[in-house]
Amino acid sequence: MSDSSQSMGAKPFRYVGTHRRTREDPRFVTGRGRYAADVHLPGMKHVALVASPYPSARIVSIDARAALALPGVVAVVAGAELAQYTDFLYVGVDAPGVKRYPLAVDVVRYAGEWVAAVVADSRALAEDAAELVDVTYDPLPFVIDPEVAVTTEAPRVHATYPSNILYQRKFVWGAVDEAFEAAPHQLECRVRWGRSSTVPIETFAVLAQWSPGTEVLDIWASIQMPKFPDQTARALRLPGNAVRVHFDVDVGGSYGVKRGIKHTVLVGYLARKLGMPVRLIEDRLENMRGGDMQGPDRIFDVALAFDERGVVRAMRIRALDDVGAYAGRSPLQLGKPVGAICGPYRIPCVEYEPCSVMTNKTPQEAVRGFGQAPTNYAIETAMDRMARQLGIDRIEIRRRNLIGRDEFPYLIPSGTYYDSGDYEAVLDKALAHAGHEELVRRRDQARADGRLAGIGVATCLEPSGGNSSFEVLFNPKNETTTWMEASLVRVDLSGSITAVMNTSTSGQGHETLVSTVVGEVLEREPALIRVVHADSLNALPSNSPVGSRMAIMLGGAAAGAARRIRANLMAIAAHNLGCPVEELEYVGGDVRVAADGSRCLTWDQLVEIAHRKFHRMPAGLEPGLQASFVWEVPTGGGLPTADGRIQMYPCHSFETHVVYLEIDRDTGKPTIQRYVCGHDCGVMISPDIVHGMTFGGIAHGIGAALYEKFAFSEDGQLLAGTFMDYLIPSAHEVPSMSITDHCTPSPLTTFGQKGSGEAGYLGGPAAIASAINDALAPLSTSIDELPMTHEALWVRARRAPSATGHPEPR
Amino acid sequence: MKPAPFEYLRAASVEEACALLAAHGPDAKLIAGGQSLVPMMAMRLVRPAWLIDVGDIDALAQISIEPDTVTLGACARQYVLAAHGGLGAALPIIAQALIWVGHEQTRNRGTLGGSLVHADPSAELPLVAVMLDARIGLQSRARGRRVVSAREFFTGPMSTVIEADECLVEVRLDQWSGQGLGSAFDEVAIRHGDFALASGCAQIALDPDGRVRRVALALGGVAGVPLDVSGYAASLVGQFIDDTATEAIARSVAAALDPPADLHASSEYRRALALTLCVRVLRTATARARASLTEVA
Repeated sequence: MSDSSQSMGAKPFRYVGTHRRTREDPRFVTGRGRYAADVHLPGMKHVALVASPYPSARIVSIDARAALALPGVVAVVAGAELAQYTDFLYVGVDAPGVKRYPLAVDVVRYAGEWVAAVVADSRALAEDAAELVDVTYDPLPFVIDPEVAVTTEAPRVHATYPSNILYQRKFVWGAVDEAFEAAPHQLECRVRWGRSSTVPIETFAVLAQWSPGTEVLDIWASIQMPKFPDQTARALRLPGNAVRVHFDVDVGGSYGVKRGIKHTVLVGYLARKLGMPVRLIEDRLENMRGGDMQGPDRIFDVALAFDERGVVRAMRIRALDDVGAYAGRSPLQLGKPVGAICGPYRIPCVEYEPCSVMTNKTPQEAVRGFGQAPTNYAIETAMDRMARQLGIDRIEIRRRNLIGRDEFPYLIPSGTYYDSGDYEAVLDKALAHAGHEELVRRRDQARADGRLAGIGVATCLEPSGGNSSFEVLFNPKNETTTWMEASLVRVDLSGSITAVMNTSTSGQGHETLVSTVVGEVLEREPALIRVVHADSLNALPSNSPVGSRMAIMLGGAAAGAARRIRANLMAIAAHNLGCPVEELEYVGGDVRVAADGSRCLTWDQLVEIAHRKFHRMPAGLEPGLQASFVWEVPTGGGLPTADGRIQMYPCHSFETHVVYLEIDRDTGKPTIQRYVCGHDCGVMISPDIVHGMTFGGIAHGIGAALYEKFAFSEDGQLLAGTFMDYLIPSAHEVPSMSITDHCTPSPLTTFGQKGSGEAGYLGGPAAIASAINDALAPLSTSIDELPMTHEALWVRARRAPSATGHPEPR
Repeated sequence: MKPAPFEYLRAASVEEACALLAAHGPDAKLIAGGQSLVPMMAMRLVRPAWLIDVGDIDALAQISIEPDTVTLGACARQYVLAAHGGLGAALPIIAQALIWVGHEQTRNRGTLGGSLVHADPSAELPLVAVMLDARIGLQSRARGRRVVSAREFFTGPMSTVIEADECLVEVRLDQWSGQGLGSAFDEVAIRHGDFALASGCAQIALDPDGRVRRVALALGGVAGVPLDVSGYAASLVGQFIDDTATEAIARSVAAALDPPADLHASSEYRRALALTLCVRVLRTATARARASLTEVA
């Protein structure tokens, strides 16, 4: 259910915010999508990988003779060759010596790391041959525990780098020590976010073809990644204009992880070397073990200083993140939370110490929220602890700390302005929608009947817009402050509208987004507007759909281009009607004299003039009818201050989750019985898409909170490398959910929209953890590690209730 | 995840299947529903050189309900068994167990015999077979037909007495006589449809006065094979059953277990789940038996 009152000023929207059929879903639900695996080229070869069985070892020798002897096997390539002919992959922080190539060079650094690539006529044949590649290893010491990895005695993951710590800095924003000394109350807690990720149905897929005639490398890949063509060209030592990425393939889910740069560089190299089209479609085993797609794995130490009313005066957060064996962009996932480090709360000073450490595990990749969901979980847990310590209701304690609706724009200690919000209104809506009072009665009755029941509440921020200034914050050698997005809109001779976007789409509904905003501005039916993806050689600049940015950035770019078209139409009409623009009105694509509606030029007439009748065009106007618009992210362009303050993302959506669950005392099994999310992402361009993404985000959050973990054994082996052990919640485990919307428009964006691509996930795990710990509270116990497994819950549920039925003060 | 190379053959009769098994020996494997075998082949954990498909042999899909005995063909699909009215009346425990077997989609393909020969120690149908001490019919070209008790059929995790040249052809299950019957199946898996961390099933017959006439109890997931633990419940026969008695039995059963540990459950946790499941299935089976007596009355 959404508010129907969405509008900018007095004029209601025609299409924005309405419930309309999406542009892209019909082809997906009827099986007519076109994914990277659907692209077939004549003579195409297939890749399978040889993976390391050791978490750390020197590669002594690779004998591929038996594999190459198999009929149909084209080549076997190992890391040494790639190190010679390609450049190492991008590293997000200043860590010289931490080099990654698509295949291990000399040394393997995690079990499952790709050691050799086998190219053959079919994937099955490539797998047969991969089994015949004989690799001799000399095992080396390894480190799995991140708290051991930070010590000086730990085996180093990269011998060429002085330690395992990729990045560490203590930020102090304000008089934190003084606030802690002066505060009447304090608490400290440690929480752990388990190594989970997003696991799209489609694994990473890439196909590359080198054309010697044109000297262009064509790439079809299931990507969601900023600067992917540029990074691919650099690693392959090709000029940027020799790589053409086809952004028009559908992507079967990503939620952050579809980066695939190592896969693409490998396949691009092979295609060029062999002069044949080559494709790699990871199987699930390769994906989960060697696909470099695992998510944040963090230990948080949080301390709060607060007064007797539960008003927070200062916070300290230390976050140790285990990024696995290589760097990539993963250390930066500790950087984005700088932009919402105090959550939705009025916390005047904060100390934040992120530490990114390498271990001999599968590397980390970007996951939905880019590190914000774990941080939100840590902050929310501390807020709940404070409530318990003071004996104040968890909701009341949030009310006392939430930033007020009249305090925006609100500057947080780490340098970001929150654009707008009405947090308490969203909290109230969610509580009302969930029937909170009734839930309390239900919980208390369940407890009286001897059951374990709990209510969870979380109030969390969703930063959006993708002003990725964590790059400059975490790497002084990087001065990237440009995070633009662009669109081109064209009206053809028939009067049909085509809008061009300049990146791939991985399920966010960009065709609906762009057609809706272009239709809104030009007042033309969105269902008739075609949206296409440029390839990277004819694309305008883009930074891809990361950081919940496309509603803001692509929506703004498409609207900007459409506004230019509209202005051109007005200029043509003014010239032909002999009337100043100010006296004209634009109605549904026609332009008429405001005072005399009979003097009018229709859409078709205006288009015809633009395309065919140069003699009727005003001086200085380009013939044809097209316009592009490129814009920098709002609030972007800044560099950090010396103490590390910087504006991070421009817009700040907000979500409140209310959860009711019960835990079976005898088995530890949790059952979520009520789930409500109150959500404010400003003006929703397509409410159905926003709701769909939010439902998916909540389901993902349920997985992170209760089920999903890439567990490793002490000897460095991935224990959860298939869906038998990496447990994604199914329709049986995900309950019926309900969303209640609120709209606080952003003052920074075209229609007042904010981002929502990470909605649901950013507050879900915190709320579920809150509910679990509420259920355990009568037993005076708690659990501070995700996922909260059945067994961990059972261990705690066995405790006898305390005499009072209430938790003892800690 | 492509299987190692194999040859595919389709058998039109049990005799042909046995002949092919005899011809190809240990390199051959039978396939029917493929719901366990195909994933294992895809991960190259199993690599038969010959795959002999018995899924289309009508004689193996028969379901026959007689007054005392039920005979189920090895290739009876799980969804057919779950929805079969006559079977539901004769042996409701089958449908009670099948709710827990994979998902609707896998049950459309999966077969009874496939589940038994796969012999996962936490699987549901082997557990029911052990509880009811099913008689499992095996056929080979060399030695003809033999019948093995389900309690002797399973020898360890993924391991049975079946020889490389044998085809499981049918499963015979006795119907208990008289009125006042009740059965129950329950399990704990982390997600519905996953292999159980522990599972339990029970069947109880009550005399008209409510005393226990006969009881069977079995546990899955807590040992290398499905365990028949009916002996622990034998003391109930001739007695009225109540929560105290049920819990005492469950405790004595759990104390005797030494369950395996893995990523998702420790031995201690599995033992506790076994205890809980014993209580729950005995309680539910008893309630159903009592309800059945009431219906008769």
